[in-house]
Amino acid sequence: MNKPEISNAFTTVGRETPQINAIEKVLGKAVYSADMKMAGMLHAKVLRSPHAHARIVGVHTEEARALPGVHAVLTGDDTPTRMTGIHHKQHRILAAGKVRFIGEEVVAVVAEDEETARDAIDLIRVDYEPLPEVFDTGEALRAGTIEVHDGSGNLACEYNVVRGDVDAAFAQAALVHEDSYETHSQYAGYMEPMATLAWRTSDGRLHILTSTQTAFLQRMRIADAVEMPVSKVRVIQATVGGGFGGKTAEECNSLICAWLATRVDRPVKFVNSRLDDFQGCRSSPPEKIWIKMGVDKDGIIIAKEVKIVADCGAYEGLAGHVLQVSTVRSDNMHRYLKNVRLNGKLAYTNNPPHGALRGFGGPQAAFALNSHIAVMAEKLGLDVVEMLKRNAIKSGDTSVHGFQIGSSGLSECLDQVSDGIGWDSKKTRPKDIGVKRRGIGFGTAIHVSGNREMGNWDGSTVIAKMAPDGRVTLMTGECDMGQGAFTMLAQCCAHELNIPLSQVTVLPTDTDMSPYGHGSIASRVTILAGNAAIKAAREVRERLLTLASEKLGVPKEDLDMANGEVFAKSPAPNQKIPFGDLARLHIYRAGGEALQVTATYDPPTFLAMATPEQYGNVAPGYSFAAQAAEVEVDTETGQVRVLETFVSDDCGKALNPLAVHGQTCGAAVMGIGWALYEQMRYEDGRLLNGNFADYTMPTADSVPYIQSGIVESMEPNGPYGAKGASETAIVPGAAAIANAVYDAIGVRIKTLPITPEKILAGLRAKQAAQDASGASR
Amino acid sequence: MSKKTIEVVVNGRTHRAEVPARRMLSDFLRDDLFLTGTKRGCETGVCGCCSVLIDGEVIKSCLSLAVHADGHEVTTIEGLAVDGVLHPVQEAFVNHGGLQCGYCTPGFIMTTVAMLNDNPNPTEDEIRHGLNGNLCRCTGYVGIVESIKAAAEKLRGN
Repeated sequence: MNKPEISNAFTTVGRETPQINAIEKVLGKAVYSADMKMAGMLHAKVLRSPHAHARIVGVHTEEARALPGVHAVLTGDDTPTRMTGIHHKQHRILAAGKVRFIGEEVVAVVAEDEETARDAIDLIRVDYEPLPEVFDTGEALRAGTIEVHDGSGNLACEYNVVRGDVDAAFAQAALVHEDSYETHSQYAGYMEPMATLAWRTSDGRLHILTSTQTAFLQRMRIADAVEMPVSKVRVIQATVGGGFGGKTAEECNSLICAWLATRVDRPVKFVNSRLDDFQGCRSSPPEKIWIKMGVDKDGIIIAKEVKIVADCGAYEGLAGHVLQVSTVRSDNMHRYLKNVRLNGKLAYTNNPPHGALRGFGGPQAAFALNSHIAVMAEKLGLDVVEMLKRNAIKSGDTSVHGFQIGSSGLSECLDQVSDGIGWDSKKTRPKDIGVKRRGIGFGTAIHVSGNREMGNWDGSTVIAKMAPDGRVTLMTGECDMGQGAFTMLAQCCAHELNIPLSQVTVLPTDTDMSPYGHGSIASRVTILAGNAAIKAAREVRERLLTLASEKLGVPKEDLDMANGEVFAKSPAPNQKIPFGDLARLHIYRAGGEALQVTATYDPPTFLAMATPEQYGNVAPGYSFAAQAAEVEVDTETGQVRVLETFVSDDCGKALNPLAVHGQTCGAAVMGIGWALYEQMRYEDGRLLNGNFADYTMPTADSVPYIQSGIVESMEPNGPYGAKGASETAIVPGAAAIANAVYDAIGVRIKTLPITPEKILAGLRAKQAAQDASGASR
Repeated sequence: MSKKTIEVVVNGRTHRAEVPARRMLSDFLRDDLFLTGTKRGCETGVCGCCSVLIDGEVIKSCLSLAVHADGHEVTTIEGLAVDGVLHPVQEAFVNHGGLQCGYCTPGFIMTTVAMLNDNPNPTEDEIRHGLNGNLCRCTGYVGIVESIKAAAEKLRGN
């Protein structure tokens, strides 16, 4: 958006700005879903399936029902017969007839207190008739394998994209290299387990206070599943204790709680235990990725073929979208790439379902791609940073899939990281030969800021209201999940009206009152809601100036505003009027009304997913990142430690550097966790480590001080030039670490996570190969 | 379920209550005293969201029984600010990016208060080591470490 000339002495744009609700958070006063209480509130618990695939032949609930304090014991047979899900409607609110994964919700209990609900769960007996199970995607897709969903062939979805003449390009290539990579599943690991409080009012409406990134998508899903009109369902966003993709519209805590509230006469609260949360979550889809890449003698990528098989788990949810991203998006980083052949298959298995997680398929693809490029750079004798720079897409380019790159700071990110970590000197220093060996590696990333994929609207609406005291209240359908989205909106509004940030309040999303919004997904909020907030604030500004001009008898062009007042600029210095007076005047006049503005920004993007070609500009902006990691590998224990890492994020313009650095550092550490420490470990579909002692997320002690750099490429579509900054930095880290490990010890780990066992096995294999070649000489 | 009467000083105020023997301190604080600033994140003593001080020492209130607090002084996140003025550790977390979603924040702040009482001038390694009982998914710990350095400096009177 073009920036008009306004004075903005009070602006915080571009300045380190604490979150607008930071003080209530440090005081312990912020209210999260589990903190809410209502008179007469009951508590819910669920019994989960111990079988990965089984027929439910009998549910015995008599003893549980008889327990004093128990209000309801409900099974799948009590749930509406209508199926629920994102695209494929595949399951009921509680499992009916069949269970398809270990952890699937089978019976729900509602009781006076949590302890009684838990005790009642222990009294329920379910008879199962086990069915054959399938856990491996390769086996799932073979003809004759049992089907998780009848008639599906276990193929949830498939993408095929072909552009240019990939075979001809491979024939011309100076070097062609192919290899396979595997990634594992990551848990969102937000510190606040899912929690919901739901109640009905006497008018028959259903109210749901929950921890969500997407209040309106939740309303749509819940209304559909409980068979109520959307207008009778209200979703209210509580303070959200982290989301990272895990609190969109896939998890079932909110759905079950909402439905239970329709079955009892009192409010129902359902708080996930951490084990519930591990078992009921949608973690990221594991992927097997095969890449064949052709480059010319200068390292320019000219041909790429990719085949991905991703594990969906038992239900599709958003995993299909995630796979689409893994299949297609990373191609758009490379400006000369015109020939691609891509195939992505998503397989149903009896593993727990996978779905949305920060990066949304980007980390999987980037691990394989950046590992692959590092191998090819070495074969060509090229510095990998130089190769990445030669291929880096630039502002003004249109990529192979039709992404119109309004701004790209990818090359600048590479330079900044390279300088920041001392790439040249570290790369050329003598190799360590002792027990502990250091190495350094690089990774790059592209991410969208918004993504047109729902009903050909990727807009955002902001309502700005000025109260009679001159303060502004903003309402949005997007959600703050802790990333600071509301602070960003307040900053945009305060900037336009030249008022202190404290004069702006942003209300949590309430579907009864807030304007519709898809929610906080696809790094869309800054670029879309930010623009809507600016548009709304500018309209407020215009109305204030018009009224003030009438009131003061001063032409509008001679007026300006600061600190909650409109004032005449030069000829009559004492002529001024407070916002509050103007807000009252806006109402109390013939034909007046409260000063309230609704503004929508829908970006100039294309619904590519709806076309067979899947070609076009899906996002108003694309964010880029580069990361270098220096690791130390202990060749005796196999331990890998990240000594130093530098990550640069091209977020267009850092509206709030405190928030951007915070998001970047958090994402980078989540990436380190995925690469080295975190893994959902399954044995025949059973999660073995559903707790924080065994699912090891990084602690402060296990990671270095993350060095985070910002590149401001000034996105033409962005609010003050900004793009999304919350997901990009999770994308490049795993590859940077894997490449650094290779640099340190000459062992390439192609299957994540990088564990000591794999390091030691790799070292042994390398030694054996050396011994063999020595012996044969 | 047997019950026991306990007397606990919480944030300077004496509470006498009859609690079930199996009641966890975190539940007692949250559900009986309505001090919901103390969070529950794992119920197994790993995440540290429920950290509170007992007689100045940091403990995991999800692993402690309420009856164990009998006769002791408990400080929760609600007990740090005095007359609406933030404790220096709280102030530092606001200004130095020590928080994002805020859910782990009360636990980190309580751990920090205890850490700086024991060691007013910690090195970065000592800070990171001292945070091993607390998990944060948002910040990557950089903002938290910066906040603790700033708070330590302020508390030392610099």
